[in-house]
Amino acid sequence: MFYKEWIKTRWFYLVCILVTFSLCGYEILNINRLVSLKGASHLWEVAMFRDAIFIDLLHYVPLLVGIVAAVVQFVPELVQKRLKLTMHLPQGYVRSLSEMLAFGFVALLAIFCGNLVMLIVGLNSVFAGEIVSHIILTAVPWYMAGLFAYELVAWICLEPVWRRRILDILIAVACLRVFYMSPLPEAYNSMLPWLGVVVVIGLALPLTSVVRFKEGRE
Amino acid sequence: MIDCINLTHYYGKRCIYENLSFSVPRGRILGLLGKNGTGKTTTINILSGFLKPRSGECRIFGQNIIGMNPELRRDIGLLIEGHVQYSFMTIRQIERFYARFYPKWDKNVYYDLMSMLKVAPNQRISRMSCGQRSQVALGLLMAQNPQVLILDDFSLGLDPGYRRLFIDYLRDFVKSSERTVFLTSHIIQDMEKLIDDCIIMDYGKILLQMPVNELLEKYRQYNLKLTDNSDLSGIEDIFHPMAMHGNVEFGSFLEMDKLQSLLQSKGIKYENLTSQKVNLEDAFIGLTGKY
Repeated sequence: MFYKEWIKTRWFYLVCILVTFSLCGYEILNINRLVSLKGASHLWEVAMFRDAIFIDLLHYVPLLVGIVAAVVQFVPELVQKRLKLTMHLPQGYVRSLSEMLAFGFVALLAIFCGNLVMLIVGLNSVFAGEIVSHIILTAVPWYMAGLFAYELVAWICLEPVWRRRILDILIAVACLRVFYMSPLPEAYNSMLPWLGVVVVIGLALPLTSVVRFKEGRE
Repeated sequence: MIDCINLTHYYGKRCIYENLSFSVPRGRILGLLGKNGTGKTTTINILSGFLKPRSGECRIFGQNIIGMNPELRRDIGLLIEGHVQYSFMTIRQIERFYARFYPKWDKNVYYDLMSMLKVAPNQRISRMSCGQRSQVALGLLMAQNPQVLILDDFSLGLDPGYRRLFIDYLRDFVKSSERTVFLTSHIIQDMEKLIDDCIIMDYGKILLQMPVNELLEKYRQYNLKLTDNSDLSGIEDIFHPMAMHGNVEFGSFLEMDKLQSLLQSKGIKYENLTSQKVNLEDAFIGLTGKY
């Protein structure tokens, strides 16, 4: 199953890696430019007293990546009800879908972790560990939103009934809003474990759509 | 090999059929014929496990298709309407993908068929014609080497050459080792060359199920000229009489002498009664009507 998903999505993930790492690189270069223009002490002051995090450009990038990843992976399965082919394979359909989801989830997780590692390395050359931690902890919910968006959009794409799909979209928008409610840095620190639990549980959502597809709901 | 027992299905409040039952014995090719909306695709969807009927069950290899052991699907080949396949893959990639799932996979059968298409192994399926895609789908089915095949409207979108090619290969493949096939097609001429038995469906019920040879042997199309104002509609054993300028055309399983007796018993005055054998398409239209 990973072979099929790889063939289907490899170009998307290649573009995704290029874009997200380029944006991270751009943010690091931008910070370094500010250091050379105004000095590191000025940036430290801005970071500590004005709660600046310097990577605002990345705010919605993981969300967009998660949404597009799910669309690229699951819309081709729905065209001409191609999902029937996958579900007819001689293995349980829950297993087939779990493998598909695992592929997308792990691919996104790897890219997002790579982005965060790049940011940590880049920021460490300019800021103290506490400030780096402050910036990264602010960005972590954005990346979690990206993973959750992937699961929600997969859930919506696989839903066989249009009316139900519209309801799912509304629920998905409301759920994702939670990740962006507070603009304050580190506002989600105490919630991070819970958001992590939500992201893990969210992997089961697309399975409910596939059960409905299997029953022939229209 | 395939048993559907008392299937009942509704879409909302619309009844598709009630208590539909049929069987396909091992080694037989059964074609499901019916007008649009009579439930052919519904039946295929139920049979392939993608639709849960309101009541009743379908069994393949003795197991209910709902909750069937997934490994048994190794021996069930499914052709989805329109020869749908993973069109983002190339000819080679799709063969490699499926080969991992099927222990009896025979890639030579697949590549033999592909070599006839004169397409490169790295040709993407989405860039192939409908006819070529049908051959890819057939090649994959044959490589899978299943005991049961379920084919939904296999002739959809194919020109006469590819339809003939598909039928010739499929018939040869099926007859070579007693495979069981359940299929639908909207082109009945194609079915006549392929199927052993047929089910003709009307709205909500099975009109008949019998071997095609027997149907073609027994079914007659009759023509006569009415000499009074009689009406043949509603007479049992006379199917869909169509009157035009006093000439009436209808179908029946009755032989000439029995039909004459029937008409006489109903007091119908007529002349120039003729009968002829017909092909499967004409028999189908005669049995189900043109409208």
